[in-house]
Amino acid sequence: MPRLLSTALLMRRDPRLLKLPPYLSLLCIVVGVAWLLMLPLDDYSRRTYISENALLPGQVHTYFGGSDQNVFRAYRHEVDALKDKSNTEINDELENIFRGIGLKVGRQNYTYHSAGNTYSGENVYAILQAPRGDATEAIVLVAAWKNVKDEFNRNGLALALALTRYFRRWSLWSKDIILVIPPDSRMGTQAWVDAYHDAHDASRVASLPIKSGALQGAIAVDYPQDGRFESVHVVYDGVNGQLPNLDLINSVVNIASGQMGMGSSLQQMWRHSDKYDDRLKTMLRGMLNQGLGHAAGPHSCFIPYHVDAITLQPVGQGWHDEMGLGRLVEGTFRSLNNLLEHLHQSFFFYLLMHKERFVSIGTYLPSAMLIAANFTIMAIFLWIKSGHVEINSPSKETKSKPATTETSKAVEEKRGAAAERDLLLPLSLVAGCQFLGALPLFIFNHTPSNLLAPIFAIFSLINLTLPPLFSHLLQARRAQDKPITLQHYNLSKSFSLLLLGMFLSSLATLNFSLAFLVGLLATPLSFTRPWPGNAIAQYAYIALLNLVSPTTVIAAGAAAWARYGQGEMGVVQAVTEVLEEAAFGWDVWGMYTPLVIWCVWWPAWLVGSVVVLGQPGTAIKGDTKKKVL
Amino acid sequence: MRSFLSYIIPLFLLSCQVFASDYYEQLNLKPLPHSALLASFDFRSNTSLSQFEAQNFRYFPRSLGQILQHVGTRELHLRFSLGRWDAASWGARPWDGTKEGGTGVELWAWLEADTDEEADHKWLTLTNALSGLFCASLNFIDGTRTTRPVMSFISEGDHPNSTLANMHLLHGILPREVVCTENLTPFLKLLPCKGKAGISSLLDGHKLFDASWQSMAIDIRPVCPSDQECVLEIEQTIDMVLDIERSKRPRDNPIPRPPPGHDLKCNSSKPYHAGDTCFPADSIEGQEWALDQVFGKTMKGTCPLTDPDVPPVCIQAPDSRDVYTSAGVTELKTPSGLSRCYKVPSDSEFSLVLPRMSHEGENAKTNADEMVEPETPLLYAERSFTGHGQERGGVQSILTNPSPDTEVEFIYMETLPWFMRIYLHTLKTRIEGISGFNEDVVKEIYYRPALDRARGTQLELRMRIPPASTVFLTYDFEKSILRYTEYPPDANRGFDVAASVITILPSTAPNAPPARRKTSNLRTTSLLLSLPTPDFSMPYNVIIFTSTAVAVAFGGLYNILVRRFVAADEGPAVAGGLKGKIIAGVSKLAAMFKGAKGKVE
Repeated sequence: MPRLLSTALLMRRDPRLLKLPPYLSLLCIVVGVAWLLMLPLDDYSRRTYISENALLPGQVHTYFGGSDQNVFRAYRHEVDALKDKSNTEINDELENIFRGIGLKVGRQNYTYHSAGNTYSGENVYAILQAPRGDATEAIVLVAAWKNVKDEFNRNGLALALALTRYFRRWSLWSKDIILVIPPDSRMGTQAWVDAYHDAHDASRVASLPIKSGALQGAIAVDYPQDGRFESVHVVYDGVNGQLPNLDLINSVVNIASGQMGMGSSLQQMWRHSDKYDDRLKTMLRGMLNQGLGHAAGPHSCFIPYHVDAITLQPVGQGWHDEMGLGRLVEGTFRSLNNLLEHLHQSFFFYLLMHKERFVSIGTYLPSAMLIAANFTIMAIFLWIKSGHVEINSPSKETKSKPATTETSKAVEEKRGAAAERDLLLPLSLVAGCQFLGALPLFIFNHTPSNLLAPIFAIFSLINLTLPPLFSHLLQARRAQDKPITLQHYNLSKSFSLLLLGMFLSSLATLNFSLAFLVGLLATPLSFTRPWPGNAIAQYAYIALLNLVSPTTVIAAGAAAWARYGQGEMGVVQAVTEVLEEAAFGWDVWGMYTPLVIWCVWWPAWLVGSVVVLGQPGTAIKGDTKKKVL
Repeated sequence: MRSFLSYIIPLFLLSCQVFASDYYEQLNLKPLPHSALLASFDFRSNTSLSQFEAQNFRYFPRSLGQILQHVGTRELHLRFSLGRWDAASWGARPWDGTKEGGTGVELWAWLEADTDEEADHKWLTLTNALSGLFCASLNFIDGTRTTRPVMSFISEGDHPNSTLANMHLLHGILPREVVCTENLTPFLKLLPCKGKAGISSLLDGHKLFDASWQSMAIDIRPVCPSDQECVLEIEQTIDMVLDIERSKRPRDNPIPRPPPGHDLKCNSSKPYHAGDTCFPADSIEGQEWALDQVFGKTMKGTCPLTDPDVPPVCIQAPDSRDVYTSAGVTELKTPSGLSRCYKVPSDSEFSLVLPRMSHEGENAKTNADEMVEPETPLLYAERSFTGHGQERGGVQSILTNPSPDTEVEFIYMETLPWFMRIYLHTLKTRIEGISGFNEDVVKEIYYRPALDRARGTQLELRMRIPPASTVFLTYDFEKSILRYTEYPPDANRGFDVAASVITILPSTAPNAPPARRKTSNLRTTSLLLSLPTPDFSMPYNVIIFTSTAVAVAFGGLYNILVRRFVAADEGPAVAGGLKGKIIAGVSKLAAMFKGAKGKVE
């Protein structure tokens, strides 16, 4: 043991140790990415299982059907007749139907402002009071008038009405059932759920006139397509990448496949072979949705309030009819009704790669953490490095010679001589860049939507010229007698990477995918350094940095969306929509993705670019630098 | 012995006839909107106080009487409730809300004791005894759940001034207690006819506990009529609101399967109405129902102990409503034309049929023809939690006075568990619906703060709400973190917070209508408070891991320390078989001999 310790102590002074961190950092990145790619393998992912025994999915007979279909058709006629009416007229009529069924009805107005647009509407909701209950708990059924793609949710609404009427006949409900009908899928539920928890801004969103108990779960039905369907698509992404309890998804999948003989799919993977590539694809799609952090359906707004929620979308052409979906909802509600406690047993942090395969946080988190750690390693390395006096070629020569202990010690001492760190400039540069991040955040959240694309173009151009400008300003401010040294650049990079590593590792626990994606795109920042003698390397690296700059990534993402996404649109329109969605998310959903991009990633990128463009001049190096340029 | 009894029993029955008026029972039926039916059972019996003191209980249940005598209870009120009263559609509560409790079990009693400690001690005895009698967890009403209300409860009995001085009111409530059949059986056993005859024969656990709302109440109080001897009266009531459609389902097939398509009641006026498309119309028209259908059995005659002049069954329905009864029943209509009663022969079975009244066609009937319009209650109350998260929250009570011209004054009482630490300074009221009202709606506050693990918060507010206005009463609280042993061992559903009790004070105005001259009550629903909960499997895992580590590390280490390891050939030769045993025995004997020798020396 003592020998081991002394060896370790000796190793500490070994100059080779200081060469290690960049490689270690690279290794972290490689392992991190490889780790993620390993996850879909059988050995690293697990089969899903129902953890909460009380749920008993698929253990009850479902009776929705028979003459309820006649009622469903009638309700569909009613819904069709209302299609072109105004929000208030629709709600008047729905209120009549609810009162006919014997429910308590409430309405709620809301108005949101975002990107120069005003969105307003009126929610209508009805409470089916549990026949012997005491208003302590509730389950929510959401049927938005229009789904996220702005399609008329015709069958979903009629189904929700028929189901509620059917539920009223049972006396076994232990929880109230709330049917919420928002006019749209993006903000209606947000307004409703905010007001339900009294977290709403009273000037924009009205309070709820009637309430029930604690919400235990929510199911949204999104059924615009006509005719029979083949399988049910489970949408589970919440705002800011929060996810519902895995037990809820498992229950639905279990009831659909086990009881109804219905297929189920995730992340728009209509055909899933359950092989490596399909699993990886599902997982990456899930990660992209999670990383973007936007609301994927009317259920998304429930999840931040710890209400587990999913949206069910029937897809494909098959033999299941509306009653089948109704029975699926009935079965799920019966399961939720069984719950004695809030869903807590299973996982809240997971990546799904197949409807029956997942990885939990303990398995996937290291990949994002390793990527975040690479920044921290580099930051610590640079901090240590900046504390030593830089030794040039002569010391290298002495080292290469087989030196006696005395000489090596002398060299060591010389090399290890503590250098005084000049902190003011690096600190102010990093702090300035961090604060500058508030600027794009403010601009993009307060620009009217028609100006978003031009402003983005202007900002991208400015972004291109900002690093050279900063670099030039730094050089100009520091006169020849007090030049900017390599140490300044090292320290700036160190602080910037330290912050980045810190932010990303804490973000990884909240939104793994966002932390992973940002971390991956920011990895070139680990290896930035001034190239005073090599203009080609310098320009090549700055070109690389510009390729992975936040603005380029946003533009490229929008272009990819315009090309491969649904609907025909130009790149300019796509950029506008992406930025509009970001501003909308920020204003309405409390989505923090823009904050991460502009206040975590962008400042780090800016500092990294300044470092690459840096021209460190030391007293010794001054001549060489001039020669090169 | 048998022959002796055969003489005694007829004598006893004869004497019963004389005191028949000491027992009274009546069932009141009231059809409510949305095909609901309120059934109020009322049973009342009494014994004179002197007889009671002499342990001659007569119709008064002996089991209960002895408990009361033992702990010096002067007045007792016990409530078992389930579900919620839907005031918006069913209107005012039965008995003005005085015969109902908050969800779960509620108990309050006036005990005679010299000191508070003695009262507490007696209360403990009482709750434990009642817990056994009614199969309810009343023994969980401990110090943290017991309060001494100051303004909310008023003694209903006539107490002599001498006892009034040292009577203590104690109140406890168990919101989590689920009321079920095991509570009904002892309840029925207290009745003289024990559910075998009379209206109590209609009571069946399956129907009672399938009701949308139900409340069982026991009130014991001394009553002193002006010119007679004081009596101790026990009143047992059961109120329930049945969903007629649900109750009509046969017991062997209770599943609400969709009816066959041709049985659906459709609104044929819709343009799309067709054989396979049906807009349901069953909610518009009332249901047809019969007494035996709704209660699952017929009424078996009358209880022979009741006064034959009191009609056992009454129904509150307008005269225009058709009601058919079984043969031999006399109908008595009240002059108001809004209710009628039925006298039932003592030995025949009784049933009641209310056919469907058509709302269409020539003899179309309106809702007014079909049922008595429910009365508007004096006050609507609703309470819910605000805020979210594990650290703090808020409570909001919405109190609405629907009356257009009369203000309402009431006492609002909250009994909160100690782990819900309220901030009294955040208690605020906001009034809506009336402009220019500057008066404070809260007139008086009685507040007894909680002590951790010893007693809960008691908050009583005297409030006055002006006509046609809504008051929002809000306050904030902090959730405390419990010790891990303080969590109940069940699934962590959360903690139930008892219903708040609202006592509407009788109006003092000289021209007040009779409904306002009485004290009436209402209760809000209970709340579910979720506290920060540790993951209980974690300590379990830690315990398992530690135990394993201790077992492996300590066990191994201990083994090594206390044992000496030697090679097999180094150890003493152990001979096996009979020879070895003999050698061992001999050496043992030698050792004993040596020991004895040593002692002698």
